[in-house]
Amino acid sequence: MALLSYEFMRRAILSAAFMAVIAPMLGVFLVVRRQSLLADTLSHVSLAGIALGLFINYNPTITTLIVVVFSAVILEYLRRVYHTYSEVSTAILMSGGLAIALVLMNANKGNSSVRVEQYLFGSIVTISWDQVKILGVLLVLLIVLFLLLKRPMYVLTFDEETAHADGLPVKWMSIFFNVMTGVAITVMIPIAGALLVSAIMVLPAAISMRIGRSFNRVIVISIGIGLIGMLSGLFLSYDLDTPSGATITLVFILIFLLVSIFQKVVKRKE
Amino acid sequence: MHYISVENLTFFYGEEPVLENVSYHVDPGEFVILTGENGAAKSTLIRNTLGLLKPAKGKIAIAKTNQEGEKLSMGYIPQQIASFNAGFPSTVLELVRSGRFPRGRWFKRLTKKDHEHVEKALRSVGMWEMRNKRIGELSGGQKQRICLARIFATDPDLFVLDEPTTGMDEGSRGDFYRLLRHNAHAHDKAILMITHDHEDIKQYADRHIRLVRKEDSEWRCFHMSS
Repeated sequence: MALLSYEFMRRAILSAAFMAVIAPMLGVFLVVRRQSLLADTLSHVSLAGIALGLFINYNPTITTLIVVVFSAVILEYLRRVYHTYSEVSTAILMSGGLAIALVLMNANKGNSSVRVEQYLFGSIVTISWDQVKILGVLLVLLIVLFLLLKRPMYVLTFDEETAHADGLPVKWMSIFFNVMTGVAITVMIPIAGALLVSAIMVLPAAISMRIGRSFNRVIVISIGIGLIGMLSGLFLSYDLDTPSGATITLVFILIFLLVSIFQKVVKRKE
Repeated sequence: MHYISVENLTFFYGEEPVLENVSYHVDPGEFVILTGENGAAKSTLIRNTLGLLKPAKGKIAIAKTNQEGEKLSMGYIPQQIASFNAGFPSTVLELVRSGRFPRGRWFKRLTKKDHEHVEKALRSVGMWEMRNKRIGELSGGQKQRICLARIFATDPDLFVLDEPTTGMDEGSRGDFYRLLRHNAHAHDKAILMITHDHEDIKQYADRHIRLVRKEDSEWRCFHMSS
């Protein structure tokens, strides 16, 4: 409890709790739509946005948001062009984003290397109250959207052709989902880091899909696992003096392994 | 009044013509079957009709409203729908319930009547007892049946079915065809179904559309038999 006496820890705990809800809520759809790499791709692309912001000396969050939203739309277009092997679109954007980021960072050498590192690895303990507020707004927005669009998203995720026949605007829904994922990644990157943001989105979802039977339950369990992993990872990183993002990811991987082993043991006993 | 009306549809895969000048219509109260040899672009024709593919030319119209003037509802079972993502985290009941969403339930609570429709649909395909199973745990035939249950739960004005009886035994196929014919004749539903089962189904279907290969084409191109 002594932890709570530090203001930076209070901010960190609050933002971890917010992210624990935001990330898996999107993550379940990413995993089920077989778009786990989308988060990874958008986080790599976001580096290009950050590098661009630093290069032109403009707020990197704004440039990242523009670049990520634009990429999310391109990604949906490429996914349709390469329908039968859609992972090609992910590979094109991921390598393209990283290449642009490296070129811009190189051109901007020496001016802002520390700040780029901050976006690469993230730091939950240096988060400001303004960032916590933005996370809070995103959380409320996503919960409202989730409650409104849960049913259309369920059908879209089950089968896009069925969704089309049911009268849903499949293309626009997919673009909107990609854009919201992009926005969430942009907001979470300074905290979780470009390298780990996809892990906190995908891992709780992947774990909950092994446990939950129904769609609703999978969503609820993934948020529960998100909270356990984020908060215990944060406390562990404080105790062990390890990087927070990496520690949180390792906690999620440990939970994933424990759940897998437990299920194997139970199955063998049956 | 046509629920589906297609005029002179021509479709290319790249440079290759696949369908040429295909015209057909499906009306309420009709059970229409679409047949043709393997690779006769039957699914391509249906996917063009539904707007999932873009034809090179031709006019396609799907009615906006049903005979009562309400928004037309459609139920579609794509080919091999039963090979859906096995990891999809959903129970049988959840999936079949989702069939009620297009009936004005995207943003509203399901009513008692909706739940009754779902139960009836599941019972009609013999899957009520399996309602709490995860869909990934079902066999291929069972997956096929819950997809049919979903479409019966929707209770659409227009059924578009792409080989829905794959894996069904002869007896179940007969029951299924009888059920479709009853829906068409007693409830004015329009049914368009791709099938390979020419002989069995003849006694149930009202009309037969056949795609045959164009003999004067250098490509593997199909049109309607005259």
